Amino acid sequence: MISNEKTTIGAVLSAPVRWLAEAIDIPMRWWQGIAGRPGMISFFLIPNLLIFGMFVLVPLFINIVYSVTGGTELFLSDRSYVGGAHFNRLLECENHFNPNSCREDLFWIALWNTIKFVFTQVSVMIVFAVITALILNGKIRARAFWRAVFFFPVLLSPVVVGLIWQWMLQRQGVFNFILFQFDAQAINWLTERTWAFGAAVGVSIWAHVGFYVLILLAGLQAIPRDLYEAAEMDGTPPARAFWRITLPLLWPNLLVVIVLALIRAVQVFDEVYVLTGGGPGTSNLYLTQYIYEVGFASILRNPGLASAASLIMASILVVLTLAQLGLTRWKDKK
Amino acid sequence: MGRIRLESLRKSYGQVEVLKDINLEIEEGELVVFVGPSGCGKSTLLRQISGLDRPTSGNIFINENDATNVSAADRGLAMVFQSYALYPHMTVRQNLAFGLQNAKMPKAEMDERISAAVEMLEIGPLLKRRPGQLSGGQRQRVAIGRAIVRDPTAFLLDEPLSNLDAELRVSMRAELSALHARLGATMIYVTHDQVEAMTLADRIVVLRAGKIEQVAPPITLFEKPVNKFVAGFIGAPNMNFLTLDDVQPVLGNVGVPAGATMTGIRPQHLSPAETGLDMTVTLVEALGTETVIHGVLGSGATILVTVPGHVKTSKGEHMTLNVDPAHLHFFDADELRVEAA
Repeated sequence: MISNEKTTIGAVLSAPVRWLAEAIDIPMRWWQGIAGRPGMISFFLIPNLLIFGMFVLVPLFINIVYSVTGGTELFLSDRSYVGGAHFNRLLECENHFNPNSCREDLFWIALWNTIKFVFTQVSVMIVFAVITALILNGKIRARAFWRAVFFFPVLLSPVVVGLIWQWMLQRQGVFNFILFQFDAQAINWLTERTWAFGAAVGVSIWAHVGFYVLILLAGLQAIPRDLYEAAEMDGTPPARAFWRITLPLLWPNLLVVIVLALIRAVQVFDEVYVLTGGGPGTSNLYLTQYIYEVGFASILRNPGLASAASLIMASILVVLTLAQLGLTRWKDKK
Repeated sequence: MGRIRLESLRKSYGQVEVLKDINLEIEEGELVVFVGPSGCGKSTLLRQISGLDRPTSGNIFINENDATNVSAADRGLAMVFQSYALYPHMTVRQNLAFGLQNAKMPKAEMDERISAAVEMLEIGPLLKRRPGQLSGGQRQRVAIGRAIVRDPTAFLLDEPLSNLDAELRVSMRAELSALHARLGATMIYVTHDQVEAMTLADRIVVLRAGKIEQVAPPITLFEKPVNKFVAGFIGAPNMNFLTLDDVQPVLGNVGVPAGATMTGIRPQHLSPAETGLDMTVTLVEALGTETVIHGVLGSGATILVTVPGHVKTSKGEHMTLNVDPAHLHFFDADELRVEAA
C-alpha cells in the first residue's frame, strides 16, 4: 500500500491512483508469496513473454502444423495429416532452373524472381548507399537537410510509397508527362516486364536506402579524421584512400547493411504489391506475395502449402541471419 | 636540407584570426618546439606548415622554395600525430610501407628503408601486429617509424607524447632527443608541456593568442623572458609577480630600472633568510627532493617558494625570504621586460 505521507496530490487524484496501485499489489503479493522476492523478476517478464508467445511462438506452431496438414479448414483439429506432401509438391521439379517443369511452378517463378530481385536491389542499393553516405559525410551545403531528405522515405508506410510511385509511373503520370515535354514516347512503366521490374527495384531502393545510408554514415563518422590526414601526408590518392582506408574501416557497418538489406529484400512484398500487384503477369511475383495469395487470396486457398512455402522462406532468412552473426563474430575476432 | 621559413603568415577562420603575422626561420637540423597554452595556435601553425591547412595570407618556404600552395604530400614533410593515426586494420609493417607504396617505390628500396627504421626504433618483433595489439609507447614508435621511412625534409610532431603516461613520457622524451641527434633532421615539435619544450628544444617558440611572444633557446627563455607572459609560462612552479612595494625589503641597493612597475622572482630563487620578505605559510607541498611552500605577504600578495630537500614548516608559521638581486626580473606597465640598470 502506498503510504499516506507520499500521496500529496490531493484527495481527488490520490484516491484512484492509490486504488489502482493497491489493485496491482494484489497479484504481486500473491506471486511473491509463491516465488519469493528473487522470483519477482519473472512477474515482470511474464507479460512480455505471454505477448511474445501469443504473437510469435503460437503462430509459428500453427504454421508448422498447417505445413504438415491438408485441407482448407482453419481449426487445427479439423485438418488431416499429410506429412511432407506440401514440401514435396513445392520442391518437385524436373529442372529447378525451369519453373515450368515444376509441379508448383508459381512457387519457383516467385523464388527465382525473388533471387533476381534480391541480387539486383541489394547490389544497386549498397553501391548507392555507400556513395550517398560518402557525399553526405563530406562538406556540402545544407548537409542536415540532405540527410533528412534521404531518410524521409523510410518513415513512410510501404503502401503510401507504393501509391505515390504508382501515381507517378502510371501511363498518365508525371514521368510520362516529362517524356512528353521532350517529345519522347510514353513508357509503360508498370505494364512492361523489364520496366516494371526496374520500377519495383527502384521504388524499393528509394524507400529503404535512407536507413542504410544512416548506418553507413555512422560508420564513416567513426573513422578518425587523423587517418585521412596521415594518408594525405603520405600522398595517398583519394581513390586509394577509399579502397585502403575507408572501405576496410567501414566494413563492419557495411556487413550489417548487406545482411539487413538481404533479409529485407527476401521479404519484399507490400510496396511492390501495391505498385504492380505482382505483374505484369508473374514478372513481379515474389515469395511473400506467393505465400499470401496461396494462403489467403486465391479461390483455391491452401494454407498448408502456403505454410510450407513460408517455412522454406523462413529457413532462407535463418541462414542469412546466422551468416550475419557468424561474419560479425569472425570480424570481431580478427 | 630542411630549412623552413615562415613569412607574415596569417590564418583566419571567419572573423577569428587564429595566427597573426607569424615570421620564423627554422634552420636545418634544428629541433624547434612550439609551446603555449591551449588555443594559442601552435597546432594550427603546424598544420599550415604541413600543408593539411592553407594560410589565409603569408608564405611558407621549404628549402627556399615557396611551398605555400604545394600539397601536403609534395612538401616532403612527415607528421607524427597526437593520436598516432596508425591505420588500425593494417599490420605495423603495412603501416610503415603504406606511404612508400603510394610513392611507387621499388620493393628492394622499400624493404631497406623499413629495415633501417625498424632497427633504429627496435620494433622488429611488432611488425606483424596490428596497432590495437600495441601499447601506447609501441604505437608511438611505429608512428615515428612511419615518418622516418619517408626520409622527409623535416619532421612535424604534434604533441606526440601527450597520450602516454608520465613515466613513459620521460623515457620517450629521451629517445626522441637521441633520435634527433642521430638523424640530424629538422624537427618541429608542438607541445603544451614546458618541461618537454625545455628538455628537447634547440629553440623554443612561445605562442600566445596566435602571436609569437619569443623565440629563443630554453635557457634564454628562462633567464631573460621578454615579457611577463613568457616569464610566467616558462618555469615550474610559475614565477612570482610582485609589486615594487612588496619586494622593497630585498631590493636594498639594487637599482630599479626606469619604467619598471613589477618584479618577477622565480620560486627557486627565493630562500629562507634572516632578513627579507616576511611571508605567512598557507600550504606546504613536500615533494621529497624539494619543498614547495605557498604563502602570503603582508600586502596580501601570494607567493611561492621552492626549497631543496625537506623543510619543516607548517600552515600559519612565518618565514623570512631573501633573493639574489641578480635573479630579479623587472617588467613595465605594458608587461615588457626592463633590464636592470
